[in-house]
Amino acid sequence: MKALSDERVSLAHGSGGTEMNELIKKLGLSFRGDWKGFDDDSASIKLENGEELFFTTDSYVVDPLFFGGGDIGKIAVCGTINDLLVQGANPLGISLSLVLEEGLPIKTLDKIMSSIRKVSEETKIPIVTGDTKVMEKNKVDKIIINTSGVGLGKTLNQELVVGDKIIISGGLGEHAVALLAKRFDYETSIVSDSKALVKELESIRSDIKLAKDITRGGLASILNDVAQKQSVGLLISEELIPAKKEVKRVTEILGIDLYSLACEGRLVCVANKDKAERVIEALRKFNKDAAVIGEVTQQDAGKVFLQTIISKRLLPTPSGRIVPRIC
Amino acid sequence: MNKEKIDEHLASIKEICVDIKREVVVMEVCGGHTNTVMKYGLREALPSNLKLISGPGCPVCVSSQKDIDNMIGIARSGVVVATYGDMMRVPGSTTNLEALRGEGAKIHEIYSTTEVMELRKKHPDIVFFGVGFETTAPMTAYLLKKGVVVYSVHKTIPNALKVLAESGKIDGFIDPGHVSTIIGSDAYKDLLVPQAITGFGVEQVLRGIKSLLELIRDDKKIVVNAYQEVVKESGNPKAKKLLDEEFVLVDSEWRGLGVIPESGLEVRSDALNAKVKYKEIIDKVSTPKKTACRCGDVLMGIITSVKCPLYRKSCTPKNPVGACMVSEEGSCQIYYKYGK
Repeated sequence: MKALSDERVSLAHGSGGTEMNELIKKLGLSFRGDWKGFDDDSASIKLENGEELFFTTDSYVVDPLFFGGGDIGKIAVCGTINDLLVQGANPLGISLSLVLEEGLPIKTLDKIMSSIRKVSEETKIPIVTGDTKVMEKNKVDKIIINTSGVGLGKTLNQELVVGDKIIISGGLGEHAVALLAKRFDYETSIVSDSKALVKELESIRSDIKLAKDITRGGLASILNDVAQKQSVGLLISEELIPAKKEVKRVTEILGIDLYSLACEGRLVCVANKDKAERVIEALRKFNKDAAVIGEVTQQDAGKVFLQTIISKRLLPTPSGRIVPRIC
Repeated sequence: MNKEKIDEHLASIKEICVDIKREVVVMEVCGGHTNTVMKYGLREALPSNLKLISGPGCPVCVSSQKDIDNMIGIARSGVVVATYGDMMRVPGSTTNLEALRGEGAKIHEIYSTTEVMELRKKHPDIVFFGVGFETTAPMTAYLLKKGVVVYSVHKTIPNALKVLAESGKIDGFIDPGHVSTIIGSDAYKDLLVPQAITGFGVEQVLRGIKSLLELIRDDKKIVVNAYQEVVKESGNPKAKKLLDEEFVLVDSEWRGLGVIPESGLEVRSDALNAKVKYKEIIDKVSTPKKTACRCGDVLMGIITSVKCPLYRKSCTPKNPVGACMVSEEGSCQIYYKYGK
């Protein structure tokens, strides 16, 4: 039997793993002009004055719309701000595009807009343009939000060398667990990590070589991307990776992989080993769980390894969809 | 996690393996155990004469192609159906439920059977495709009690172990943890093979392996309960009663293993049995075709996933040929996920 889902788009194409990358390749959009960073968090182009202009876009669908610690509006704005920040940009402005389902209560929309407003005010990054469309009942699930953003700055992407430290800004899996808890009606004290990382980036930018925000595909996907693009090996250690006890328990109960889970306000960065301490110190002001989780290694170029309590194993790019186990 | 305890278990395992001298083949029956083994890179830390093989303990993987085709036939006819996410991508002979949903079939992916009750308010004739071992079967029994029509591919573990034991290639079993909470440790008593029941943490798995190796070394063909925190001798009487009330034990086809006597749970009431209600549709469903897929041999422990000619070539989690590549619990997907 051959390629069951070849003919149509499947949900796996949207899970941020290998399927999505293959789909993007198939789209065949290869003309980029002078723009760089097509497959990074933001694309950039050099301006005549030497500065770089950054541009990014993202669409948001989430079920449920509201969850502990945030809602679709908050992640839509934070996500785009973070995509600009980690690439080295200072965000200038955001666009907001809404696709609404006929019959959506205005109250719901108000709630979403007020959290968008809040992020915009707190970060002082304005929403500068937008669009609204309404679709017939059942043609779209409540609301889809697209945000795009532009910023100015300098690309943050230095060459990694053996011994550089890999640093994470806080615990893994909190957003995913808050969402799953709401979906499956579990009681939990975990709230989404969704957050704009403006202050974090400001305080560490001069000390780091690169940064990535951990979104779809989770830590595993991001580290593999870094390892492949930079042709270095990465070794992280399970016991150093911060994750709340409750997060770990929920992932165990549901049988889902912590390293594939999305965050909405966490970043991974790499710093020279002499600067790692300073970076950690800065990040801990915002989240006490920030930690060095591993380092760049001599061997295994292009690959990520995980030191478990028992032995060392490969941490591959996630594939397929994240589905809870039934046994 | 207790590093000292883990090291202690590993040291004991090493010692016992030295005592046993010959190659020992141990099967972890449950996909959950396979996952722990791979997640922690356990194989690398075990003695070289101890061979861990992954068994048929993934309910999705052992569903027969015929059953999948039948379900696809029912869903294609326009009936509203619900099933677990894992079932969505199991290949039938021509397509799977997920692709069928992409074509417009009304298939709801659920996590808990309470969601079926919710869906039923809107779709009174909804059919539930029930899959799983004794762990999920009680929830399906609950739906049957509430009058929901079910297509059951539920299976029971003990008789499948018997078939595997008779192959003579396996020295002992790590029995499934969750299943045992329902059926109890007594359910394995008739099977004259060394067995240990254990949980899914790495420490528990090691404890289970250690207990099992002790039995093998001492030639004791009994079952040890190394998961006494949650597994009782008689299991969960309430759940067992529910199963008895709603299901009958029947011969059942396991993918790759063939028909195993008294290993399937069939809906007791004809009125609630989708196989009876939709007989006309099912009768028209064509018989499955064979492929080079060696899921059967993988499930039997005859080969490991990497030895299958399709593995990582035409068979990947994106395009699974065999069911072992579909499920999070399938040994092929677990091998793939951990980069083997």
